[in-house]
Amino acid sequence: MNDDITLRRFDQFAEHNDSAQEAETHIEAREFSLFYGNFEAVRKVSLQVPKRMVTAMIGPSGCGKSTLLRSINRMNDLIPSTHASGQMIFDGHNIYGRNIDVVTLRSRVGMVFQKPNVFPKSIFDNVAYGPRLQGVKNRQQLGEIVETSLRQAAIWDEVKDRLNTNALGMSGGQQQRLCIARALAIKPEILLMDEPTSALDPKATAKIEDLIGELREAYTIIIVTHNMQQAARVSDLTAFMYEGVLVEFGNTKQLFTNPDNPQTENYITGRFG
Amino acid sequence: MRLGTRKLLDKAFSGLGLMAIALMAMALVLILTPIIWRGSKAYLFKGTIEHRRVMLEQFGRGDAKAFNRETRQAAEARAPVYRMLEEFEAEMKAMDRTVRRNYKDAYGEVEEALHVLLGPRPGKRTPVLLRQQYGQTRWDRTMVKLHEVLYATEWDYSTPGAMGVQIEKPRVDQFRGTRLEPLFDYLPAHIDEMMRPRTTFYWRFITDTSKDSHIFGGIWPEVLGTIYLTLGAMLFAVPMGVIAAVYLCEYAKEGRIISFLRICISTLAGVPSIVFGLFGLAFFLNTIHVSDSKSVLAGSLTLSLLVLPTIIRSSEEAILAVPRSYKEAAFGLGAGRWRTVLTVILPAALPGILTGIVISMGRAAGETAPIIFTAAVSVGMPLKLWETMNQPTPALPWNIYNLCTEHEAVDEIRHVQYGMVLTLVALVLLLNLAAITMRARIAKKLRG
Amino acid sequence: MAQSPSKSLVMSDAASLRLRLGGWLGQGLLFLVTSLSTFAVFFIFYFIFKDAVPFFKLEGTREFFTSTRWYPSGHPPEFGALPIMVGTGLVTLGAVVVAVPLGIAAAVCLSDLLPFRMRQVVKPVIEILAAIPSVAYGFFALVVFATVLQNHGGSVLSIGAWLVLGPVFFLLVMVAGDLLLDRLKHMLPKPRLAGAVIFPALGILAFLVLRQIAARLAGIEISSGTNALNVSIILGIMALPTVVSVSEDALQAAGRELREGSYALGATRAETLVKAVIPASISGILAAVILGVMRAIGETMVVWMASGNAARIPEPWYNVLQPVRTLTATIAGDMGEADHVTGSARFHVLFAMAACLLAFSFAMNLASELIVKRSRKKLGK
Repeated sequence: MNDDITLRRFDQFAEHNDSAQEAETHIEAREFSLFYGNFEAVRKVSLQVPKRMVTAMIGPSGCGKSTLLRSINRMNDLIPSTHASGQMIFDGHNIYGRNIDVVTLRSRVGMVFQKPNVFPKSIFDNVAYGPRLQGVKNRQQLGEIVETSLRQAAIWDEVKDRLNTNALGMSGGQQQRLCIARALAIKPEILLMDEPTSALDPKATAKIEDLIGELREAYTIIIVTHNMQQAARVSDLTAFMYEGVLVEFGNTKQLFTNPDNPQTENYITGRFG
Repeated sequence: MRLGTRKLLDKAFSGLGLMAIALMAMALVLILTPIIWRGSKAYLFKGTIEHRRVMLEQFGRGDAKAFNRETRQAAEARAPVYRMLEEFEAEMKAMDRTVRRNYKDAYGEVEEALHVLLGPRPGKRTPVLLRQQYGQTRWDRTMVKLHEVLYATEWDYSTPGAMGVQIEKPRVDQFRGTRLEPLFDYLPAHIDEMMRPRTTFYWRFITDTSKDSHIFGGIWPEVLGTIYLTLGAMLFAVPMGVIAAVYLCEYAKEGRIISFLRICISTLAGVPSIVFGLFGLAFFLNTIHVSDSKSVLAGSLTLSLLVLPTIIRSSEEAILAVPRSYKEAAFGLGAGRWRTVLTVILPAALPGILTGIVISMGRAAGETAPIIFTAAVSVGMPLKLWETMNQPTPALPWNIYNLCTEHEAVDEIRHVQYGMVLTLVALVLLLNLAAITMRARIAKKLRG
Repeated sequence: MAQSPSKSLVMSDAASLRLRLGGWLGQGLLFLVTSLSTFAVFFIFYFIFKDAVPFFKLEGTREFFTSTRWYPSGHPPEFGALPIMVGTGLVTLGAVVVAVPLGIAAAVCLSDLLPFRMRQVVKPVIEILAAIPSVAYGFFALVVFATVLQNHGGSVLSIGAWLVLGPVFFLLVMVAGDLLLDRLKHMLPKPRLAGAVIFPALGILAFLVLRQIAARLAGIEISSGTNALNVSIILGIMALPTVVSVSEDALQAAGRELREGSYALGATRAETLVKAVIPASISGILAAVILGVMRAIGETMVVWMASGNAARIPEPWYNVLQPVRTLTATIAGDMGEADHVTGSARFHVLFAMAACLLAFSFAMNLASELIVKRSRKKLGK
């Protein structure tokens, strides 16, 4: 009976998942661990994320998937008493190595959070925030960046007439797409998404998922999700984590239909989680 | 206990609580009513022709032509009074010396009281003191002074051991049968025409300087001094307080040093205000000599220490209320810590910080004890901005104290005292009202 | 959109060092500004005690703390500050008597009895009471209240007695009547009838006693309106907002579970509050009382203007109808005269008083912090 449900659940897979194995590696974790104090939240994870593909991370809550995601742009630095071991290689450097410019790292690795966290500023200022940090002052140039980013995030048509109104007045789905636009405006190479649709309704979720499908042409996307159907729909590759350990990592279709590991199978068939 | 009694006790208990609230509200009403009612009379009162004379001659304000016409009419009404005085003086001259002596002192009192009521007698030399150059400017004071012309007060010590009792005797009895007798009927009958009372809205009370130490004029030097002191205190305390709050919320790692810092801040908040005053004297004036004598600068510095803990606490609260997600978003976009604070956290916390600042402004404006030894003087002119560096100033709180305890004519200038209190209370309450509305708005924004 | 050539992730050693140094320096600066309040506290203690010590060197400590003669300008000057300390204590005690019962009752009312909308009306009343400058209170005390007390002292006192003792007597009658009924229940044939007799009888008795007290009070003549009573009442009103808001916080912190637990056992609202909520939040209420005391003891203007400033111990010591003098008022009033002779004992004695005030408020502050901290631990927050 479970198999039945599984099949019905995952009948709709992303289309671009065939060439996954041949693509160039964009970011790589080598024996990477992350500790909160003495607690090892991520345990010696090694994985290679390919360029311009969507990689999903799934697993029960508390399994370390969000922590791993936040390790990629060192957002965990904000939490006191965290430290890392092993390596996280990006652009040929271990980002936990010496002399790493965290600010540059974060401007090359964009991030979208669980809840839409727009600033209480105008829509324009929200999107222009990143470029301004990087020193773009010219109003016209900023305007171009804002428009491009909003178009990329497929929200331009909805907001073009009210760029100067407060962003807090938008709906939750619009706010989340604005957050994506804001992240795109800093022209990142990688886009990290931490459960970007968990606070949204189904319609808004569908829009964000469509958007992810379009963005995969230009960006490497890593998305953490609770929702396995979503992982199946949008990702090319899927990583399953359990208690800080990377249990299985591979082609999405294969992982969902024919997992190697019994734990993975248990999880995706809903026996625990 | 029986259930019925328990229920009754429950009701009685609620009643006690409600009574406490009612008593509190009653106290507020009892305190504010006289202040508002009598304070408003400094601004809105029945002014006599003498008030208009002061305005015209001392402040160059008013219609000279209309005033002259009015003066003529008043003079006509007053003429019989002065005629009676002259007639009586002539009568006295003709009297026998021993009889004259009986009248002389009593007449001197009448003449003096009339001077206070109507101003100097025409044809006599102008007195030196400004307050003696004019009669009563306010109708309520006019009635009091008229009473003093009509009645002599004496003390009755007939009961031995007890305190003397004040009794009033009509003066007319002293002058029965003389040419002065009709005066005591004429005065109350024609006081209207002599003083010509008119409802006056003297809003310039707040912007006029005082003449002859608050006998005439307004309270501008005090208002300006209070503004200087308050803004000066904010100038020092706001940057310090906000920076400290940012440090405590965003940078500090909780530990021994930080909890020590917090204890110090709460100790500072608990220091009595008079001790701040002494400290200001001992440190700012006697040790580091920010100025040679008391000055606005020294007072502002002292006040800034007093409000510092309040500003730190309210700013901290405001900063902690900013959602963490804003910070994450900014960091995720590649902003550094400092950038995040400046571009995201402080703007989002601004309304809350402002609320705290506005409340502290009210506190600084109303504090008296810290400025007694560091900044305040009883009499002074409005200061120019650069003079605040080395000169003391009058200030509303200090001068309220001063006018109602140390002024030589305390009872004559009650209206000025009440006016000052009302002005200060209104200033402080307006600031608080602004804070309350601001906070309500923030609450609304956070909710929806 | 062509991606611009991305910046390198790795900085040079020099740049990294510069960044770290900058961060350090910035944080150091921030820390320095923050510790300004620490410096302020130390400086205040240092400068007050520095000028207080010469006094004790010149005059010794015994006279200051034990003598009742305060003649700083006499020949030879006498510096017995005992009456001033007693005066301070007396008005503070008076303020506590006014502010604490009222404040706690109001706090209970605010946190548990009033509906939300009424609370929104009452809160601003408290805020306005807290915001009115002390000099305005002082002005009211001196110009309005002192006059009323002096001219109609007796009637004011008896009205006060009715207002305060009336409800208390009512509660007493209720409790006493109930206890009596409980005792007599078995002996009397008709308990209901007995109740109808006992309650009115006790009520009339209480009314008569109260009327007697009020009449006694109405006969009192107050020779001077500027006295300890006047100041105590005004200081009590000034301390009210502090007591109310801090103890309301404490009552709120006791939590809903506690209240629900008590209600579930069949307690009335009053019983829940008196037997469960108030005991649970007693430390917070204590902290509120301490803060109220600090507010009253540190207040200058009201006592300076309206306490009468007589440096002698009232007779008997609790006679609040006599003028008194406090530490703060002495400092404020005498500094003007002592200013010219800086360095004399007369100047330093004022700093000695300030030192006493400072030490006392510091101790109180620490005590309230400790109490709050301990209660937080107890509540597990």
